[in-house]
Amino acid sequence: GPTSLPSAAPEDASVLQREQESRVALRERYLRSLLAMAGQPVSFTMYEKVSVTAVFGTSDIDVLNFQVSELQTPLGVQKEALLRCSDIIAYSFQL
Amino acid sequence: MTEWRKKTPLEWLSYVNKEVQVLAAEKHQFKGWVLTVDPVSANILLANPLDNGKVSVSAILGHAVQDVEVMNEADDEMKEKLERLFIPGESQTYSQ
Repeated sequence: GPTSLPSAAPEDASVLQREQESRVALRERYLRSLLAMAGQPVSFTMYEKVSVTAVFGTSDIDVLNFQVSELQTPLGVQKEALLRCSDIIAYSFQL
Repeated sequence: MTEWRKKTPLEWLSYVNKEVQVLAAEKHQFKGWVLTVDPVSANILLANPLDNGKVSVSAILGHAVQDVEVMNEADDEMKEKLERLFIPGESQTYSQ
């Protein structure tokens, strides 16, 4: 989780600064991808060989849960659902 | 390699714009160009340009990543394509 973010030994302030800049750049691009994904159909690969599709809504800030709608399951369509990220191996969508 | 989630942001950044093959949980394999690695979740975001001009974007969740192998480095054209992907108004499929 966010409490265990890795960081360099603080011996070198410039390394720490570059590390922070890297973190910002990486995070910004990831957050932009979540924005781009909102409202799009997304395929989720879950554990135990389960695949589901749903319309992506949003994520919580720690990327622990995804809010989705129109979740297609073997038991029918779930109008609104929360997917736990710990149950997901991968997801994909098209831009 | 050290465990994927324990890498530093500088190490993750070194994968951006590289074509990689990712081995994930339950023997799933993924290939594509690294767009970013979320420094909070360690999720890897991959892009795969499609023949129809669209781009398939996949993410492998950090907790499921077992191995990441670098295959190729992007040329300038591919780097530009990857950089433009999430900038609103720049995407080819964005219509407003």
